[in-house]
Amino acid sequence: MPEIRVTPLGAGQDVGRSCILVSIGGKNVMLDCGMHMGFNDDRRFPDFSYITRNGRLTDFLDCVIISHFHLDHCGALPYFSEMVGYDGPIYMTHPTQAICPILLEDYRKIAVDKKGEANFFTSQMIKDCMKKVVAVHLHQTVQVDDELEIKAYYAGHVLGAAMFQIKVGSESVVYTGDYNMTPDRHLGAAWIDKCRPNLLITESTYATTIRDSKRCRERDFLKKVHETVERGGKVLIPVFALGRAQELCILLETFWERVNLKAPIYFSTGLTEKANHYYKLFITWTNQKIRKTFVQRNMFEFKHIKAFDRAFADNPGPMVVFATPGMLHAGQSLQIFRKWAGNEKNMVIMPGYCVQGTVGHKILSGQRKLEMEGRQVLEVKMQVEYMSFSAHADAKGIMQLVGQAEPESVLLVHGEAKKMEFLKQKIEQEFRLLPSAKKPRLLHGTLIMKDSSFQLVSSEQALKELGLAEHQLRFTCRVHLHDSRKEQETAARVYSHLKSVLKDHCVQHLPDGSVTVESILIQAAAHSEDPGTKVLLVSWTYQDEELGSYLTSLLKKGLPQAPS
Amino acid sequence: GTGSDSCHGARGGLAGGVVALVNSVGLGPGLRAWAGAGGARGESWRAWGGAGRGAGPRLPGLGHGAFLWAQVGYQDFHAFDLSEATRVLEWIGDKGVFVAGYESRKKNEILHLTLPFRLSVKENQGLFPERDFKVRHGGFSDRPVFDLKHVPDTRLLVTSGLPGCYLQVWQVAEDSDVIQAVSTIAVHEKEGHLWPRVAIFSSVAPGILHGVRLSSLKVVDLESQKTMYTSGVSDSDELSSLQVLDAHTFAFCCTSGRLGLVDTRQKWAPSENLSPCPGSGGGRWCAEVGGRGRGPGPHIASLGSDGHLCLLDCRDLSHPESSVQCAVSTPSPAPELLRVTWAPGLDNCLAISGFDGTVQVYDVMSWDGMGGQAEPLFTHRGHVFLDGNGIDTAPLVTTHTWHPQKPRTLLSAASDASLHVWDWVDLRASC
Repeated sequence: MPEIRVTPLGAGQDVGRSCILVSIGGKNVMLDCGMHMGFNDDRRFPDFSYITRNGRLTDFLDCVIISHFHLDHCGALPYFSEMVGYDGPIYMTHPTQAICPILLEDYRKIAVDKKGEANFFTSQMIKDCMKKVVAVHLHQTVQVDDELEIKAYYAGHVLGAAMFQIKVGSESVVYTGDYNMTPDRHLGAAWIDKCRPNLLITESTYATTIRDSKRCRERDFLKKVHETVERGGKVLIPVFALGRAQELCILLETFWERVNLKAPIYFSTGLTEKANHYYKLFITWTNQKIRKTFVQRNMFEFKHIKAFDRAFADNPGPMVVFATPGMLHAGQSLQIFRKWAGNEKNMVIMPGYCVQGTVGHKILSGQRKLEMEGRQVLEVKMQVEYMSFSAHADAKGIMQLVGQAEPESVLLVHGEAKKMEFLKQKIEQEFRLLPSAKKPRLLHGTLIMKDSSFQLVSSEQALKELGLAEHQLRFTCRVHLHDSRKEQETAARVYSHLKSVLKDHCVQHLPDGSVTVESILIQAAAHSEDPGTKVLLVSWTYQDEELGSYLTSLLKKGLPQAPS
Repeated sequence: GTGSDSCHGARGGLAGGVVALVNSVGLGPGLRAWAGAGGARGESWRAWGGAGRGAGPRLPGLGHGAFLWAQVGYQDFHAFDLSEATRVLEWIGDKGVFVAGYESRKKNEILHLTLPFRLSVKENQGLFPERDFKVRHGGFSDRPVFDLKHVPDTRLLVTSGLPGCYLQVWQVAEDSDVIQAVSTIAVHEKEGHLWPRVAIFSSVAPGILHGVRLSSLKVVDLESQKTMYTSGVSDSDELSSLQVLDAHTFAFCCTSGRLGLVDTRQKWAPSENLSPCPGSGGGRWCAEVGGRGRGPGPHIASLGSDGHLCLLDCRDLSHPESSVQCAVSTPSPAPELLRVTWAPGLDNCLAISGFDGTVQVYDVMSWDGMGGQAEPLFTHRGHVFLDGNGIDTAPLVTTHTWHPQKPRTLLSAASDASLHVWDWVDLRASC
């Protein structure tokens, strides 16, 4: 019976700072390292004293894994690695690695500059912490050491969010972080294979929620925007560069088109470039629809949405502006807010959680007189609305994930244990109903008779026993091309052509002149009779049949004319 | 707007007419306006291109949302999806409701949901991001739940379903989130396909009124299960609804349309109507007591599966006061789901459902005479337009209920597991 020990250092009893210590097969892994956004003192960090008791963190922990860039999952990382002290590897996905430091720096600025905190991590610490990060791809098995391996799965929720499988020998744990099982406009749904972990650790805060339909929330959002604009008011929507801003833009653009509205919609310039950059960089992390539209046209070629200039804020008449940062704590969104706050015809729509201390948090709490720099008091007469579009798994989603992964046990991470009894029963009933005898398990093996007894062994072992070598089946196809140049030049042309067409695949030009696409090999040879024709030999293994056939037909169409 | 075509709904009911229009091929995008056949009094709404299937290209991310937004007549409207459809919407206080599944081949869930916080506060009191229902308690029922009643001032529930003729008693836990089955109440009835109707006499010692037919109608003490009252008759009329009016009186309605008011302090001697609503021929009936018609006393509204709606004064059940033909397509495809409810916070308003995917609100004061056509004050069509399956499997409203405090707020549930909370605007000056 494998012994897996789970110790929550944060989110176990308290939703706000996720940090879970898992001991499996003698290895110790820390899952997430979040900050509690509601506290200003040491309570905001997870309790690391539990593990520091065991000596040096670097010796005790085998690795740290961060699921996504939200501060309640990574906010305490620089504190942990640089101030408490940890030098081991920190694993996260590429988008998380790119975006984390930005959020951490933003938060650091608020804490230190706005709230004047002393014992906080510095910008340099953030940089030093990020140097310890090892970025991983989805479905890539990463060997942390000889025994410990990890693998990331797509989690939806935000750009770069992942669920992680941690495996030591035959024992494994899957940690979900935050995820959602329904795709939205720009992200897909979480997915995991039938990995059958011993334990599935899942977020369950929203297990007891029945959310109103997205259409209703969108309708409400559009209604508020429309009403404000109709009465000549201005709408400010403070956003973070990525994620919801894109969704809301697509929504507004479509609505404006439909209802034929004339009021201008603006998007902060900094936002456009940054967002474009990250989406391009991480296009495979978005959903099918986005990828399709992105290829056809730039995501931000909207008819009705234009780049913002700070001078526009003073223009009379209605308008809608998306501006950063999201919590109104600094920068352009705060500037615009100060200009528009005094007019009750205007509206600000906060699209998400705001950290304590920020203007966003204050106005959401109902405060209507704000003290700005220089003792100036700002009276807020504009309407303040909150509209959350964040994506989390509800009870149905959790059941779906459990159904996909088929774990032996499920651990529900939530504040109150008593409130999870119903979900616990639900999961038990749904997934323990089938005794294991009835669950089909797929085995691929060979039956051999040895010493007058039957044995079911793996194919590799059977071959070894029989002294046979495994045969690889390769297909080769000949494609004739009109080209009077040398073979090497033909091969080079093939390479550049395929490189430009097959963006999703690994295309390489080897030193011996041949071209590879994934495992497919393409070689150029001269035609024995006709010097004006070259023969391309395309060969692939049986596993790559589909790609092989596709390549062949592609090459048969010929190569683009080389510039003279 | 530009290019608006004015369409008067077919007499057979706006619901039927509108559905047909939306479904027809060749509708391009653009504005379409439908006006209720009653002119100013009917509700009017514009469907922006994109509502429903076959009505032009579906815009990414807008779809039905556009329809909902443009709809005049709603003060508020929220749509939710339950994991299972429910036939039950039973209030606990004014902040929570019970729902329960009714599928026959699996375990069904009984859920205690708390209403979105946002709906229980007055306008503009700060910000209420909480727009979601929360599952406060849950339990499992082996059989489908067709009716569920909460025993007032206790943590007990009574449910009725099939198979087996018994009532299940449940306890809603205080220190955890489970609803546990605690006991059963035997109902000795030999018919397999009929299930007992239930109503609760709330008192220090609650009594459970139940029965399948008039002959088996009885009141049992919840704790001791002792029979406190029986009808004692041999009439085999099948019951369709039971309603407790006060500590001693209850009303019954049979599927035949036979209605009666019973005083439990006397041996069985109900004041009854003599026959179902004149002008109707058969069908299946249900009824509810409530409201104030023209007279000062309470009235009974009786609804038939053929679309007849009858109003009777409780003091004289022999002569119905008025009756109308509702603007619905008839007959009802599921007469067992018929429901008529009086608005607790409005004079003379009632709601009906069970004919299609709509809920209709009527003002009984606007009726005169017998058998004429009635136009609803308001029709909730959300379940039809938000249905993702397609017109062929149009959802049916399984139940609806009025909010105990907010006068124009209703909850409605449909066969596609949708749950709506909506607040309608009375387009007339007063109601």
